[in-house]
Amino acid sequence: MSLLAVNTVDRLDRPSAYYVSKNKRRRFNDREEDEQQQEKPDDKLKNATTLYVGNLSFYTTEEQIHELFAKCGEIKRLVMGLDRFNKTPCGFCFVEYYTHQDALDCLKYIGGTKLDERIIRTDLDPGFEEGRQFGRGKSGGQVRDEYREEYDPGRGGYGRAYDEQRQREEDEYGAGR
Amino acid sequence: MAENDRRNQSYRGGRKRRYNDDDFDRRPQRRRYEEPLFVQVRRQLLTIAESAARRAEDDVQGIAKTVTDNYDDDEIRRDFVNISLDLVLEQPMKIPFIAGTVLVAHSLKPELGSEVLSKAAEALQKYIDIGAWREVKLLIRFLGILQPIYEGDGVFPLLEELFARAVDLQTASSEDLLGLELVKIIQFTIPYVMLSPASGFEAQASALLEKTDIIASTPHALVDLVNTFSPEENQEAAGQSVISLMQTQLQGEANQGWELKCLPRPWKDARDAETDEPKSFESVTKVPFPTVTVPNPVPNGARPLFPEVYLSVYANQEVDTVPAITDISSSLIRDTLVDTINLLDFNRVATAKFLIDIDCYFTPTTFVKRATPFDRMRELIGEVQPWKPEDVAVDAVFSQLFQLPASEHKLVYYHSVLTECCKIAPAAIAPSLGRAIRFLYNSLETMDLELSNRFLDWFAHHLSNFGFTWKWSEWTDDLDLPAIDPRMAFIQGALDKEIRLSFAQRIKGTLPDPYPKLITAGKEKDTPDFKYSSEMAPYSKEGQELMQLIRKKASDEEIQPVIAAIEDQAKSQGVDDPKIPSTDAFVTSLCFVGSKSLSHVLSCIERSKDRLLAIGTESQRARCQIITSVMDYWVDQPGIAINIIDKLLNYTILSPLSVLEWALSESVAAGTILSKPHVFEMISATVGKVTNRMRQIVAARGQPGLYEPQLSVIDETLARERTDMQALFKYIEDSIVSIAAGSNDEQMERGDGSGTLPEDAIIRQWGRRWLRVFRRKAAVEESFISDALANATPLGTQAPAVSGREDAADGDLDIADADAQ
Repeated sequence: MSLLAVNTVDRLDRPSAYYVSKNKRRRFNDREEDEQQQEKPDDKLKNATTLYVGNLSFYTTEEQIHELFAKCGEIKRLVMGLDRFNKTPCGFCFVEYYTHQDALDCLKYIGGTKLDERIIRTDLDPGFEEGRQFGRGKSGGQVRDEYREEYDPGRGGYGRAYDEQRQREEDEYGAGR
Repeated sequence: MAENDRRNQSYRGGRKRRYNDDDFDRRPQRRRYEEPLFVQVRRQLLTIAESAARRAEDDVQGIAKTVTDNYDDDEIRRDFVNISLDLVLEQPMKIPFIAGTVLVAHSLKPELGSEVLSKAAEALQKYIDIGAWREVKLLIRFLGILQPIYEGDGVFPLLEELFARAVDLQTASSEDLLGLELVKIIQFTIPYVMLSPASGFEAQASALLEKTDIIASTPHALVDLVNTFSPEENQEAAGQSVISLMQTQLQGEANQGWELKCLPRPWKDARDAETDEPKSFESVTKVPFPTVTVPNPVPNGARPLFPEVYLSVYANQEVDTVPAITDISSSLIRDTLVDTINLLDFNRVATAKFLIDIDCYFTPTTFVKRATPFDRMRELIGEVQPWKPEDVAVDAVFSQLFQLPASEHKLVYYHSVLTECCKIAPAAIAPSLGRAIRFLYNSLETMDLELSNRFLDWFAHHLSNFGFTWKWSEWTDDLDLPAIDPRMAFIQGALDKEIRLSFAQRIKGTLPDPYPKLITAGKEKDTPDFKYSSEMAPYSKEGQELMQLIRKKASDEEIQPVIAAIEDQAKSQGVDDPKIPSTDAFVTSLCFVGSKSLSHVLSCIERSKDRLLAIGTESQRARCQIITSVMDYWVDQPGIAINIIDKLLNYTILSPLSVLEWALSESVAAGTILSKPHVFEMISATVGKVTNRMRQIVAARGQPGLYEPQLSVIDETLARERTDMQALFKYIEDSIVSIAAGSNDEQMERGDGSGTLPEDAIIRQWGRRWLRVFRRKAAVEESFISDALANATPLGTQAPAVSGREDAADGDLDIADADAQ
């Protein structure tokens, strides 16, 4: 009901800095061709009904996600993020609602709360496209899981790139080098 | 010039260096310590009264002084006016402080006061015209505190006018709710006028109160319907309506000379600059109260109105931690907290912060120190009883979570506010929540059934955010209760819900003995057994064959012979509807093959859609069997079962009525099914689908600029769907009425048929509680439809020759889902 142009406290239903900066970066790179289209990064999200959901455990199931996210409205589609090679869940998903308002409410009420005992991240998304369900990291999962130095049991332990290196060093050490 | 440069940079701190600046000169930047004055004013205003370290009185005077000293600075003046009103509309707890600032500013510079007034009046007019009554209430409250600056009677003529409208509305219809809303505005303005430094208005206040008494004290027919406790189940706990409570409290307060001890008067120690005497606002330049017109009749806004009932989850404790309902503080604090909560739904963290900081916004003697343990409160019992800030805050959130018929926002918002509160101040909030949970748990038998289900949902969701830790041991004794006892049903339901958000083994690990036994082996299985795997099962061979065919995505031609084989076998055994065993085998196989995940079962259903649709149309009993098979296969994980049922409804493989038939007739089990939370959830969701669709059609019918022949087309659809919806509610009514009365056939056959088994009374109570919920839903939907149709374009309206409508905006119906979840 509020008719205020600006709110007195920040809103939680804005696109994330990640989304905005991603678009901004692109604008600087191909200034000419993209200028018009990228002028307002929010525009593509004006009626967005999809959310990118991140920081899930690899073990979190569709049912669990459904259980939580249905609290903001009926879910039209749920696409699990998969490891490009193994086709196993790799810690993200897309949740599509029927209405834009449900998606905004989800940002406000569910983003930053816990699912499967992990704080999850939600970001408004212009819409799922085939191919986006796969991890873009070198080893098939999400990029962030390649170079993670901390151990995260819900997301496959250490970063995979480091893990490989550690494994190699251990093998060499074991071989008596 | 220099100042202009600075202004173009961001408000907080210096300008960020963008990376293309790298190519240009990169002078060493000196930190700037000075922030422009308008930024300072803006920040001070936005954070007014927020800090326990500053005195709010100093904030008020400091801001007023800066703004009046710099009256010529357009930016500062504009910011002051705009932000003040924004705060009034978004952070109601700050209204006395904002109004105080304006009072002091007006005394120093009346022009500034006038500017605020005219802007406020403009906003007020806008909100009155669209019927946004909460905003109207807040703006009038703000204007009310400014009473000493007006000529004559100030805000009173406006209140009188609102009252006149209320009387008109009430006289026109005894069911009127808008009039009650107007009375509420008057009631919640008077204390603030009396709080203001204006004097001599006691008589006017009393006169107005006398008038509102007739309306406020007459119980509205709907109050019982939206009560947290049905008076039928628990007369004692059933709360009073907010306005009747407030009426009594106001009269009490009038008798005590308007002490209003919880409300701050931040202007009180303002001093006159010249004489250093306490400032008297009597001598300020008086201005006329701004002109505001109240249309006749007044418009009703987008938000549907219902009576509100006062609920406290801390009622009847051995030590009072929240104001008693005889104390006006209970209503005043609750009202401003509730508005804050509902207005700030876009930032739950800010909401939680305000709730935790509640003691900053009321007089210092109102609350005990934050995080004072409950046991310490006992020792504090004295003449002046301060309250526990956490309890008062949490109480307000629960009052909204448990609002009937619907909360303003999705329920999960209130969950998230409580979660944030717990995150900000775990040690202070967690014990308060614990006591709230105990109260609600002990009220399970008599609380409105919809609300006890909201409680269940919140409880499981809340625990999922905090490692599923709860002192289960305190309910251990209740585990001996029969399964259909409301408390036992709650415990089992809560564990099921926890598992839905997590997984069985994990939940089992959080439970003390003897609770783990409630999580059976079946619940720990990711893939429930396929009953046809056992050679002993009838149709075992065909069942397995079917399953294999479905697994390898066989065509319908391959599947049909197996189905036929089952039906032939059934016929030869004298089964009267052979479609039942064949449907069972088919649907059970679908569930088993699709058991890996929701998307697996959905793609199975998608592939078999035609067959499933055909089953539904061929035989009503076979359609019921679809539900039975799904519910049986997932008997240990009912959350998955009802999710699948929900999708089958979307595919129209099931009809809403078939789901009701399954639950309230086929599987009613002498009424014991009514004790299962997931069945209530399923029926509510099914009914919700129907009412949602109905509301969409109603919205389509009511949209402006719709003409014949479309008008008639939509109207026919509406009439048809409305009949269907009524039939659905009638079915629920008829099925449950007999259970509530104990005359359901199966109930009669239980025991010796006398209806005196200990469980019989419990079953009848479940029946009454179900009835109440669905009767309310039916009434709410009917009134929604008739209200909407009253304003719709009449049938037969032809398009005007020249179509040039521009003002379509005010006809925009809000089809917000009243049954959200």
